[in-house]
Amino acid sequence: MTIKRNLITYGIALIIILVLNFILPRIMPGDPLMAIYGDEALVAMTPDLEAHLVERFALDQSLWQQFYAYITAMFQGDLGWSYYYNSSVLQVIFARLPWTLLVVGSSLVLSTLLGIVLGVESGWRRGSKTDRVMLTGLMSLNGFPDFFLGLVLLIVFGVLLGIAPLSGALTPYSGLSGLSFVLDVLKHAALPVAALTIAHLAGGYLLTRNTMITVLKEPFMLTAKAKGLSQNVLKYRHAGRNSLLPVITMTGIWLGRVVTGALFVELVFAYPGVGQLTYQALLSRDYPVIQGIFLIVAISVLIANFAVDLLYPKLDPRVSHAH
Amino acid sequence: MPRLFLAVLVISLLPALPACNDEETPASSPIKTYTIADSTGDWGYPSPYAHYSRGPGYVRMSFIFETLIWKNATEFVPQLAREWEYNEDDNSYTFRLQENVKWHDGADFTADDVVFTFDYTKDHPFQWVDNSIVESAAALDRYTVILYLNTPYAPFFQDVAGAQPILPRHIWENVTVPEEFLTADAVIGTGPYKLADYSKEHGTYLYEANDGYYLGKPVVREIRFVKISLEMTPAALKEGSVDSASIPAEVVGDLEGAGFTVISAPPSWNGKLTINHQKAPLSSKEFRQALTYAIDREALVQIVLRGHGLAGSPGMIPPTSVWYNPDTPQYVYNPGKAQQLIKGLGYTLENGYFYKDGQPLTLSLIAAADYKDVGQFIAQQLEQAGIEIEFQTLEAKTVDYKVGAWDFDLSIYGHGGLYEPSFLQRYILGEGFNSARYSINDELTQLLNEQLTEMDTDKRKDMVFRIQELYAEDLPALTLYYPISYWAHDGSMPLYYTMDGIAIGVPLTLNRMCFVQ
Repeated sequence: MTIKRNLITYGIALIIILVLNFILPRIMPGDPLMAIYGDEALVAMTPDLEAHLVERFALDQSLWQQFYAYITAMFQGDLGWSYYYNSSVLQVIFARLPWTLLVVGSSLVLSTLLGIVLGVESGWRRGSKTDRVMLTGLMSLNGFPDFFLGLVLLIVFGVLLGIAPLSGALTPYSGLSGLSFVLDVLKHAALPVAALTIAHLAGGYLLTRNTMITVLKEPFMLTAKAKGLSQNVLKYRHAGRNSLLPVITMTGIWLGRVVTGALFVELVFAYPGVGQLTYQALLSRDYPVIQGIFLIVAISVLIANFAVDLLYPKLDPRVSHAH
Repeated sequence: MPRLFLAVLVISLLPALPACNDEETPASSPIKTYTIADSTGDWGYPSPYAHYSRGPGYVRMSFIFETLIWKNATEFVPQLAREWEYNEDDNSYTFRLQENVKWHDGADFTADDVVFTFDYTKDHPFQWVDNSIVESAAALDRYTVILYLNTPYAPFFQDVAGAQPILPRHIWENVTVPEEFLTADAVIGTGPYKLADYSKEHGTYLYEANDGYYLGKPVVREIRFVKISLEMTPAALKEGSVDSASIPAEVVGDLEGAGFTVISAPPSWNGKLTINHQKAPLSSKEFRQALTYAIDREALVQIVLRGHGLAGSPGMIPPTSVWYNPDTPQYVYNPGKAQQLIKGLGYTLENGYFYKDGQPLTLSLIAAADYKDVGQFIAQQLEQAGIEIEFQTLEAKTVDYKVGAWDFDLSIYGHGGLYEPSFLQRYILGEGFNSARYSINDELTQLLNEQLTEMDTDKRKDMVFRIQELYAEDLPALTLYYPISYWAHDGSMPLYYTMDGIAIGVPLTLNRMCFVQ
């Protein structure tokens, strides 16, 4: 029942997004063709090309027919053509996607796991010296934006110590292969992942710690203790698991932004991901690419939310009975 | 400018390293690898039809593909053509070609390839060259070609002969969609370098020397283009992982101190005040002159550009150009004179602002976010002179649209291409939003059109001089400043800026001939 109702909600959200993506370039001032294709089309527009594009987007027809043409193309995986890259938008984005997923994915997993463990440990010993040190330390880190941490790491490890590469995702033309190639990629990913992990660590940590403190006061914890369970079982299976919900929500939100979540960090490290692509596309006013990224981000947010919705009842059966 | 600040921070933290290549001074000894950094990285597959239509894209292509003639720092030099002459009676050029040139795949280069190229571009225009200029091409013998022009065209060397890459007939004759031709064959040229690798996502290029190059053996065995953010470029230069790169102005002194050679390009770009000269009071020439007197362009360069630029000349052509007319009226900053001119148009000054018929003199100023600082400066200066300014930053495309539809008073805009004076016609008479679209001065209009077909350079220069005087007198738009950009390198290669830019005017140091003996 719930899943079905959820699906309908997500379907409506998706339609709104698709419509917005269709409407926006058409209500911008000036020629919609220019709004769809931006600067490059201005440079390369010949009468032949213009006729072809008008036909392709059904621009000479009614708004409904245009929308139909747009939706059909969309379901065939056609997000448009980038004149800047002289390539299909989907191809341009997909070439960058693995690098972003590598960096953002690893830091998402790391920061969530670390956040939970530190939060559980800190909450378990609330008021102790360890707790206070962790709380103060992570609270202050929480104030720094990820790109700033990235710069600090880059200056210390890249510039001053010279042990980390200054930019990119791999050493160009190093002739590496196999294991040394993998190590090279990891070496390049280390600092961006560290910056993102540290920047997002505090969120998960604080949420877990707070819920942990509330959960520890629950009567069932007393029962568990009275049963004589070991400390680790108490900490993680009983208290920890019940503190997970808010962290999952937060991770879900962040997961939705996985595609552009590393925009600033990618810029700092000149990392070839989707964030870097977004920035380039804005600079060169490559509207098809900007729109394509917008669409992919919107759809990932929907998927992430949906996944969180599915995961909730598994973690806390009460959710499925709530009305 | 937080990014620039960070670059300074980074570089001030660096330990002072000795210059990387102190020992390797003689340029003739072969250099194994030369690495050039860039903050964008990817400029497209370096074939004539697949590179992105920006200067750095053309430059990457130009290491592989060559033109009939080329330029060094001071003049046009032979390239695929060893001699050429203009035939006035039939408005054609005869090119005698080099006879020992081979394509990278070993095939002979002949007149056939040149004729083919100009025929091919009729159906498949090369993005940088106006293919309507050459009416036809004919081969007289295996190594002589004649190009017949449609009309006399003064910038022919700059815009056509020195810009059109010559394609190998045996490869391209079967290519029907050149933009999608991305195989290894698509990068077979005659140039001193061959493409060994290109990575779109990492923004890297690897070139290796073409040892059979007809003008001499390339000194550098391997050229790499890599991607590094602007902030990290100084660190990468000092670390020695990069030999050459564009740098932020703030680190010039530091890098020079560390032994790097820093050069700057003659300005080729200008920031402009676009004026709606169709609308009162801006339709009055005196009013536009008053605006010009009211804006301190020297101070603008010092404050907004932090000194890294030149004040704009009202004749548009920068003072560094050979085409610059030193007698162009300059309207040196004089707010008193500005107010006097505005009063002459029937305005009265009350409480520091001008009024006419009880209405305050108010103008709108729109600009894209890129020009926010310049806009604020201009607004402040005009307010000081007594003109109320409503300044608004808008999304770039909206600004373009409003300017195109004459729905504005003042706007700020910039464009490049200030080398070969053919740009004057484009940016004064052209019909796009980026042009002043000013054709009511008959003498100016006539000169702008005629200078394009004047084949005598001295006569053309006189015309261009007169154009600057007329344009500066009428001021349909005002050039505010020319920014200066910097390039640092370790001195191992004698880099220079090409006369009037590479090909049609790319203001980069990377002339391929710097890398050949």
